[in-house]
Amino acid sequence: MGWIPDSTLIRGSGASAAARASAWMAAMGSSAEGIRAADDAAAGVAADRTSPVPPVAADADTVARPPLVRPRDCVATGVAAGLAAHLGWPVWIVRAAFVALTFVAGAGLLLYVWLWAFVPWSPALPSAPGAAPGAESAARPRRRAPVAWLLVGASAAVLVAAWISSRSLVRAEADDWAWWFQTTLAGVGLAVASGAWSTFIDRPDPERGPRSELAVRATATGLLVVTALALVFGPLAALGPVPVFAAALAAVLGIGLVYAPTLIARWRDLTGERTKRIREEQRSEIAAHLHDSVLQTLALIQNRAGATSEVARIARAQERELRDWLYAGDAPRESDLVTDLRDFASALEIDYPVTVDLVVVGESREPAGGELAAAAREAMLNAARHAGGEVSVYVESRPDAVEVFVRDRGPGFTPADIPGDRLGVRESIIGRMRRAGGSATVLPGAGGVGTEVRLRFPAEEETRG
Amino acid sequence: MAELVRVVVVDDHSIFRSGLKADLDDTVVVVGEAHDVESAVAAVTDAAPDVVLLDVHLPGVAVPAGTSGGAEVIRRAAPAVPGTRFLALSVSDRAEDVVGVIRAGARGYITKGSSGADVSRAVHAVAGGDAVFSPKLAGFVLDAFGAAVGETASAVDELDRLSAREQEVMRLIARGYAYKEVAAELFISTKTVETHVSAVLRKLQLSSRHELTAWASARRLL
Repeated sequence: MGWIPDSTLIRGSGASAAARASAWMAAMGSSAEGIRAADDAAAGVAADRTSPVPPVAADADTVARPPLVRPRDCVATGVAAGLAAHLGWPVWIVRAAFVALTFVAGAGLLLYVWLWAFVPWSPALPSAPGAAPGAESAARPRRRAPVAWLLVGASAAVLVAAWISSRSLVRAEADDWAWWFQTTLAGVGLAVASGAWSTFIDRPDPERGPRSELAVRATATGLLVVTALALVFGPLAALGPVPVFAAALAAVLGIGLVYAPTLIARWRDLTGERTKRIREEQRSEIAAHLHDSVLQTLALIQNRAGATSEVARIARAQERELRDWLYAGDAPRESDLVTDLRDFASALEIDYPVTVDLVVVGESREPAGGELAAAAREAMLNAARHAGGEVSVYVESRPDAVEVFVRDRGPGFTPADIPGDRLGVRESIIGRMRRAGGSATVLPGAGGVGTEVRLRFPAEEETRG
Repeated sequence: MAELVRVVVVDDHSIFRSGLKADLDDTVVVVGEAHDVESAVAAVTDAAPDVVLLDVHLPGVAVPAGTSGGAEVIRRAAPAVPGTRFLALSVSDRAEDVVGVIRAGARGYITKGSSGADVSRAVHAVAGGDAVFSPKLAGFVLDAFGAAVGETASAVDELDRLSAREQEVMRLIARGYAYKEVAAELFISTKTVETHVSAVLRKLQLSSRHELTAWASARRLL
């Protein structure tokens, strides 16, 4: 890429360049500015390597200044606004300075591109409360200017200028081939830049998106086709075949380059997908292997060590964790009543000599941390603490209600026998469910063995509607 | 219960087989062992046991993709030994593993974490012609047959839904009740509970319900 002139600058700015390397990757996105720099080089504009480097110097001598960052709500790249804020100058002065310096052997343009590459975006603002889904869009920079269209317009203007100058060449009023050639190349370069900008920078922007990308690219292509045809079949071809055909070739290559970013983007998607697939395959291979070896061994350990021994509990906890990892995949777990109870059950199994068998029927819509979940946890804790052994937990979500049954096989008790000062059952389970609009009963288990707690909670629309 | 039950133990881990053999009680006699699909088919057809304790995940050379080794053993061996019943043993409680082997013809399923006494009890139940349902399997059945959203069979011979009574029985099993406790709770005999469970097992094996067949056809189990 024609970005080499900057390598010296990168070296020159030392540590700060390293720190900004990531910003470079992000901001460059790619070839747009590289191509523009190439145009400059082609146009004979030498890079001004001795140009001052204000941001670095400013960083050194004043601390009170706002840091040099690009605001996320910007016109095109945020360079001018960011630099103005940093220096405490009005924005228009900075812009004017860039334009003025550009006439000094292109220094302004080069400085602009360099700052664009290395100055990071301002840190994302903490989003407004309740704007969780919008967080991503808040973090994304918003560009007010339709840069791609401006580039297309500039390209058209430059190509028209080249055409006008070609007229004077044809009429032999002038003999400035170099200027004509450079102008044509600059026009082609701008068209390519507009394509690259729309692909890499505008596409992820929800305000622009793929439709505008297509429109920009079609316009740029049209411009380049017309240019190429005008060059090849126009009167100028007879006068200076070599530069004219070189320019026409550049236009044709330009058409290719306008589409290259799409191909690159497509290729990136493909590699991304491939990597993902390979990872999935590897994962399932590992899962199959672990399933056949480690899970079997853990089951055997539990079996041999006796269900409630410490070794068995540890093995069971490990098995649960491994199973979660094997089958849950990368999908983030949604927190609801069931996952909440499942986590609580595994915690109980570590702390108490108990095995919890959790069976779930129906789609759970009950959130975690609700009153039902709290009461169910309390019932499970009681079962683990006072009964131990095997505890069965059954959750059934029906359209009209959610029911939770917690059953143990311990010594059993009835609420009437419990002294009034024991708050566990009376308050945390029965009282809590009644206050929340549900119901709870504590009964002796089937056949008089152990205890069964039944919790019932009507579906949302009946209670909270 | 006192009568002896002859079993073949099929599992690819020898340590698990020996552990299980040591744990089973005196009324269960191990008459054969096998470690993969081929040796299992041979051992089962040779010994013609009452019950085969069958690991779901079993290695084998010609196991079709998508099906488990356990299901394959049942498919190949069952026609030769009509009197033999299969009880699936698995570390996995994933629905597709369990239901796959049940649909292949297993009479029940227990997890490998179960104690020797539990396994012996299940072996006797299966030998006696009953189905063995774990709470998890009962939960899955309720889910798959739409019991949670209120679907109930209208005719006795309907295969795609559970009758009201079958749902009650499954719910109690899912809540951790033993057959005897289910019987006491519903004021019916243990024999009736067993009849209901066998009926549910039959539906599970024969039903063409979408939830049961969707994954099965995706995995080419049918």
